[in-house]
Amino acid sequence: MKSYPKILSKNFEVPHAQHIGVYLSGGGYEAARKVYTSWKPEQLIEEVKKSNLRGLGGAGFSTGMKWAFIPKDSTRPHYVVVNADEGEPGTFKDRYILCKDPHALVEGILIACFAVGSHKAFVYIRGEYVEPIRIFREAVREAHEKGFLGKNVFGTGYEVEIVIHQGAGAYICGEETALLESLEGKKGFPRLKPPFPAVKGVFGCPTVINNVETLACLPPIVNLGAEWFAKLGCEKNGGTRLYSVSGHVNRPGLYELPLGTPLREIIEEHAGGVWKGRQLKAVIPGGISASILRSDEVDIKMDFNSLARVGSMLGSAGVVVMDETTCMVTTLLVAARFFAHESCGQCSPCREGTGWVLKMIERIYEGHGRSQDLDNLLDIGKNMMGNTICAFGDAAPTPVISYITKFRAEFEYHVRHGKCDLEDRSQKSE
Amino acid sequence: MQAKFQMSSELKTELDKIVSQYETKQAALLPVLNLAQEKYGSISPEIESWVADYLQLPLMKVREVVSFYTLFHAEQKGKHHFQMCRNMSCMLRGCEEMIEYLKERLKLEDGQTSQDRCFSLSTVECLAACEMAPMMQLNDRYVGPLTKESIDQILKEIEINN
Amino acid sequence: MPILKIDGKDIEVPVGTSIIEAAKKAGIEIPHYCYHPGLSVAGNCRMCLVEVEKFPKLQISCYTPVTEGMVVHTQSERVKDAQQAVLEFLLVNHPLDCPVCDQSGECELQNYYMKYGLYDSRLMEDKVKKHKAVSIGPTVMLDGERCVLCSRCVRFCDEVTHTHEMGIVNRGDRAEIEVAPGKEVDNDYSGNVVDICPVGALTDKDFRFKCRVWFLAQTPSVCPGCSRGCNIEIHWNKERPYQTPGERVMRLKPRFNADVNKFWICDEGRYNYHWIDQGRLLKPMQKRRGVPHEVSWEEAFGTLSGLFLRPQEMGVIVSTDMTNGDLAMAQQLFVSELKVKNVAYQWIRKSGKEDELLMKADKTPNTRGAQALGFEDRSGEIYEQIEKGQIKILFLFGHNLMEILGKDQAEKMRSHLETLVILGPHAHEGINLADWALPSAVYAEKNGTFTNFEGRVQKISKAFPPMGMAKSEREILKEMARQAGIHINLTV
Repeated sequence: MKSYPKILSKNFEVPHAQHIGVYLSGGGYEAARKVYTSWKPEQLIEEVKKSNLRGLGGAGFSTGMKWAFIPKDSTRPHYVVVNADEGEPGTFKDRYILCKDPHALVEGILIACFAVGSHKAFVYIRGEYVEPIRIFREAVREAHEKGFLGKNVFGTGYEVEIVIHQGAGAYICGEETALLESLEGKKGFPRLKPPFPAVKGVFGCPTVINNVETLACLPPIVNLGAEWFAKLGCEKNGGTRLYSVSGHVNRPGLYELPLGTPLREIIEEHAGGVWKGRQLKAVIPGGISASILRSDEVDIKMDFNSLARVGSMLGSAGVVVMDETTCMVTTLLVAARFFAHESCGQCSPCREGTGWVLKMIERIYEGHGRSQDLDNLLDIGKNMMGNTICAFGDAAPTPVISYITKFRAEFEYHVRHGKCDLEDRSQKSE
Repeated sequence: MQAKFQMSSELKTELDKIVSQYETKQAALLPVLNLAQEKYGSISPEIESWVADYLQLPLMKVREVVSFYTLFHAEQKGKHHFQMCRNMSCMLRGCEEMIEYLKERLKLEDGQTSQDRCFSLSTVECLAACEMAPMMQLNDRYVGPLTKESIDQILKEIEINN
Repeated sequence: MPILKIDGKDIEVPVGTSIIEAAKKAGIEIPHYCYHPGLSVAGNCRMCLVEVEKFPKLQISCYTPVTEGMVVHTQSERVKDAQQAVLEFLLVNHPLDCPVCDQSGECELQNYYMKYGLYDSRLMEDKVKKHKAVSIGPTVMLDGERCVLCSRCVRFCDEVTHTHEMGIVNRGDRAEIEVAPGKEVDNDYSGNVVDICPVGALTDKDFRFKCRVWFLAQTPSVCPGCSRGCNIEIHWNKERPYQTPGERVMRLKPRFNADVNKFWICDEGRYNYHWIDQGRLLKPMQKRRGVPHEVSWEEAFGTLSGLFLRPQEMGVIVSTDMTNGDLAMAQQLFVSELKVKNVAYQWIRKSGKEDELLMKADKTPNTRGAQALGFEDRSGEIYEQIEKGQIKILFLFGHNLMEILGKDQAEKMRSHLETLVILGPHAHEGINLADWALPSAVYAEKNGTFTNFEGRVQKISKAFPPMGMAKSEREILKEMARQAGIHINLTV
């Protein structure tokens, strides 16, 4: 198996790495100390731009650019908000960082605060993460004790406080403006943009929102340099990525690999191949919101641009593998149920569309499909896309359109015969 | 007239500390509700109106929030709350069978709580632990990959501890 | 000011104007549900999507500000497809119960379906069940299934009245409007949530099932309920009076006036119309030997004009409920022509609220108008002179002496008078004191103007003819004067 440097996961196997002593002994907080004691914010932003670090929550926007949007002349306080509302089905990387290397996140937050002139960071962690919250809270306490947080960070007189904010169960709060609303004590309704959070974010103040994994990349960038980091990845995609691999593989788990690692390599080498000796049928490459790939499409590099070129996306790098026994109607039912459950209900196309689509797929699943259903589903999906306040309206119909388009014959069989062709096939072979 | 709900003074002190971390009182709404639910087991209408008064919010703004987020519930859950993930990776690895098995063992349907308030069973969307599929959240703890044997084992442990 | 092109038309609008407002200015309608110019922008209904050149996605016209050189298309195929799609989404869970819905005929789902929808239904699924026919306040009913979740009502209660009674609970297609437990939509402006509801979700208990809206005629007017003079529309039943026996006015609606009331009216004003057709004085009456008899106008004018020969024994008390035209006629006749000295208005304190938004303490519409015409509030002096026997003839406009003075005092006052002439629309108990009771028209039955508390002169229009034999005060006085050989031509 090919092996790659471990940047983000280097501490995952280290015993007690969640304790500050262990973290420090591995050179922890040196990057933050360096930045606070000898760097200028502009220099830091330039360095991160050069590193080609892109937002690893899913959108893939340049982190350095995002920081640079924070207005320099603003008299209002600036905030760093950490998106730890990990909820994209198929993704579990942030949980690993929070649990196994929480100080990497604390250090990343310190660096981000310095870059944008913020003295307070809110860490929005999904409500179900009771254990990760407990561990991260302890890390914050330890960092405070050491003087890395508080009123006098590294003796520089610079103040940084971290507030841990526990969510309460809403996938939409992973959308950054819904997260801000939620942080302000409201329903998670995504905001109209502009203004963008960099200008008017939490409490109406300039705010930068970064994902956990993104922030954890900052200490290595500072320590080892932007060029080194950029070179780890591929063109315009610096660094490595924590690929969450799940589904029908022999070794489901989290794998740190460079951006641009071929998808087939991830499945066959790192995750141990398709389980039970079966054939690969399909892969979701970047969380449930990404277009599905058929088995003949997996010879592709896992980076933002390569996946975008084939109409899918790297997203959160949640790789969900499906073997030949997978019924695509069932998978679509699961996806549709999720989106109908999680739509915030603000925009008409998404609110009504997600529920409608789910009911249609349920009907097909139960054997009452009609000949026009599939074309209707594609059309309804298309009507939702691009017409809502946030990207949820684009994500929700993506499985509908991509599963039906790529596995049309299977859906048609289901509609015509009221059951799955896989059932029929397995019966015939017996 | 029903007696007005009173938050314990101990909890009130804790809540005051939370509120002080935020720029607005409203921003403390989720943490305050989370903590109240942790202590009282549910968000009753009385707690809703106490929180509204406490954070100086219109009652409707609290109502909206409580109804929006799935972790808030008005009814008391069982001492052992089984939340079975039924999203993609768990489905692929057989969560439906596990859910059926658990329903059978607990004699509960999705969303139900046993009469003795010992067990609750819910199906939930992705808990972001797909590597341990099929998995569940049992109270605060993530458990997986589940098999019929591991479910039997968990239930046995609960029985012993009771 | 930026110049942009919408559907080929060049339009110049101030910086910051939204596309939807710019289009409105050019006479181009962009369909919408959640957008309301009196509220913050929510941008959730997605009905107002338009195509803006150089933007890859369709944009919501309510939130997109115009820029110099912007080129907008509101009629392109893409836009039409999107409008049709949004309508289809909005109707997925709508009960389509128009035959029993009170909003029928003024429903934007119906209207837009005919204009922008016209698709064949492809819905096979069961609809989401929500709460129906819920009383959410003394005047407002909610049907959750008809709601399009535009949130206008919620924003109204948050932003205009700051009472925050309403909200949207749950999420996804289970979302619905709710009122906080134990609370009601019971603020001073509740009725406005019905006006701004674009569909049949919120209906008004006062109006529900009284009349189909297509039987209504609309007449612009001004609310006579206080000195604000909110602009209103009188909605009255032109064809089916038997549906609500004897009442012609079915409801009052606010009429936009940027300077006076914007889009709103208060509930006090809104429901202040049932009196119009109730207990009306229908014919001129003369008391003979203590018993009222019906008389013709000719008889009344003939006899009463005779009183004009004794102006020095005459007192006149007008009311600030009268229009400027009626007051001007009274002023011309009694002051200018007859030189009556004792002419005044009497201001009546009526119960009601006052606030910072619209409601004024002066619950009469034309105090400023009466003052501008030279009337003063000297009614007290007139009553004194009546008691001293200096005034023997009193012309009283609209007022009810029983209410003003109390029964005993009113009767005592009456006993000092030789002739009491009361002009008014209603047959209240005070009318029994009169020797002559002359039926006058209410504001909805005449043209004229009121001058509001800021001195703004505002027009009211005649919705329907006066009830029975009633006439406007202006006509009555003019005719009476003519009988006495006095010709008055007013241009007011």
